[in-house]
Amino acid sequence: MRSSWMKRQQYLGYLFIGPNMIGVILFFILPALYSFYLMFTDYKFMSPDTKFVGLANIQRMLGDEVFYIAIKNTLLFLVSVPVSIALAFVVAVILNRSVYLKNLLRALYFMPYITSGVAVAFVWMLLFSPNNGPINGILRSIGIAHPPGWLSTTESSMYAIDIIWIWFMLGYNMIIYLAALQEVSGELLEAAKIDGARTWQMIRSILWPLVSPTTFLLLITGLIMSIKHFGIIQAITQGGPGNSTTVLSLFIYQNAFRYYEMGYASTISWALFAIILIFTIVQWLGQKRWVHY
Amino acid sequence: MSKAMIRKTILTVVMLFFSIVMIVPFLWMISTSFKTPAEVFEYPIRWIPAHFNWSHHVKIWSGDNSFVQYYANSLKVAVISTAGAVLLSSLAAYGFSRIEFKGRNAMFLIYLSMMMVPPQVLFVPKFIMFDWVGIFNTHWALILPGMFTIFGVFMMRQFFLSVPAEISEAAFIDGAGHFRIFSRIVLPMAKPSLATLAIIDFSWHWNDYENALVFLIDHKLFTVPLGLQNFILENTVDYNGMMAAAAAGIIPMIVVFLIGQRYIIEGVASSAVKG
Repeated sequence: MRSSWMKRQQYLGYLFIGPNMIGVILFFILPALYSFYLMFTDYKFMSPDTKFVGLANIQRMLGDEVFYIAIKNTLLFLVSVPVSIALAFVVAVILNRSVYLKNLLRALYFMPYITSGVAVAFVWMLLFSPNNGPINGILRSIGIAHPPGWLSTTESSMYAIDIIWIWFMLGYNMIIYLAALQEVSGELLEAAKIDGARTWQMIRSILWPLVSPTTFLLLITGLIMSIKHFGIIQAITQGGPGNSTTVLSLFIYQNAFRYYEMGYASTISWALFAIILIFTIVQWLGQKRWVHY
Repeated sequence: MSKAMIRKTILTVVMLFFSIVMIVPFLWMISTSFKTPAEVFEYPIRWIPAHFNWSHHVKIWSGDNSFVQYYANSLKVAVISTAGAVLLSSLAAYGFSRIEFKGRNAMFLIYLSMMMVPPQVLFVPKFIMFDWVGIFNTHWALILPGMFTIFGVFMMRQFFLSVPAEISEAAFIDGAGHFRIFSRIVLPMAKPSLATLAIIDFSWHWNDYENALVFLIDHKLFTVPLGLQNFILENTVDYNGMMAAAAAGIIPMIVVFLIGQRYIIEGVASSAVKG
């Protein structure tokens, strides 16, 4: 085989990977193992005696009202993922073939993704001001007398976060779709056009099925990425008002670093891991099914 | 004009309109940072302020805990982390893609599985471990872990696998060892990928709020996201100042994006498509 030379100087393999491996052991593997141990303890920061409590943390979690609220909020948050993907598909299809200034437009749509940190979350916080903020100003001027309270009420706060997240993810999803659409041959589309297919039919019966592996990939990676995120929410609502924006990942952070219930927080963090594991398994199974990659 | 051109023009105008909607938060931020408090929530929105008021920008850039300090901290953390990450990732990626040795696949599986572990699992143990070794509440708590990115290893490995093996093989026959091949042949060819990784990693560190939130308490050590949060907690009604501070956090990223746009977009696209 071509790779006989690759087997020479094998010991160098350890030298190349070694430095990185040390870091992965110190900052990923050991902490992960330690966290697994903490799951079965009542570890509290600064508290001198730590006891082994077995499955008590898991019991506590399953009986914790806020845990279920956090799950519900997480699901509400994850709704933003398919919405953002659908919008991104529309934008990508249009930008792919039917506009001038394609590069400029692509850059503008992508900008939120690259610049987004907490900084932009604070901008949204003011845009969403319920009484005199610009968004409600616009809504009132088009005749909506009682616009939503956005981040200030328990009913609407999660949706306001969803809007920020859709805005943030749109550009990323669009870039991936554009890359996928470039693989679709122009000839195929021309042929369909000659056959008299209308634009809508072409999108629905040719483009959408052809990019379905990409849609699936975006859906899974988007769900995983979103379920881990808590920065923007912590920055602008800290989970409030009430518990209305406490998503699972934020719930873990708060238990660990607001209440210093670190054993309990570790337990919930492994529940989060379990969800991510399920998503990943679904991804593996799904990728096998789609052969036309 | 043909019918197709008219259609294309209309679509361009429509898409341009929505792209402006996408960047409206940035425009509003910049506009507000130059207004007076009374003008913040004026409606209809006056996009270009009547008078450019620089006082809010002056405020956040001067004094004891100013953005000068936050910028210095963020730059230090982001630059060292990124440099380390790019070097260590490409070394490991070369090992994973070009050297066959015992245990390689097992190691790679470990890397793969670690990608599934969410940061929330790691925060608590890292917090305790960093406290033990005395790097909690120092920049090292951000820099040291920041130098190890599993994503970077995957991305560089993907690139190295796309370099024809014959090139390395020829060099091998000429008597070059792995280190020579890595530093003289493969790395120079990988410049665009290195740039992509560097830019993505830098922006990740610059925007990193979560780690800073967990591992830093000392005000003097705050990076830009924490400085920003602190400003907002201390000046809850100074909306103009908030927007000047937000602009200070965002503008470097816009500049990086404009300069490295090609690398960023291609990097993001290829990393996801290749999975």
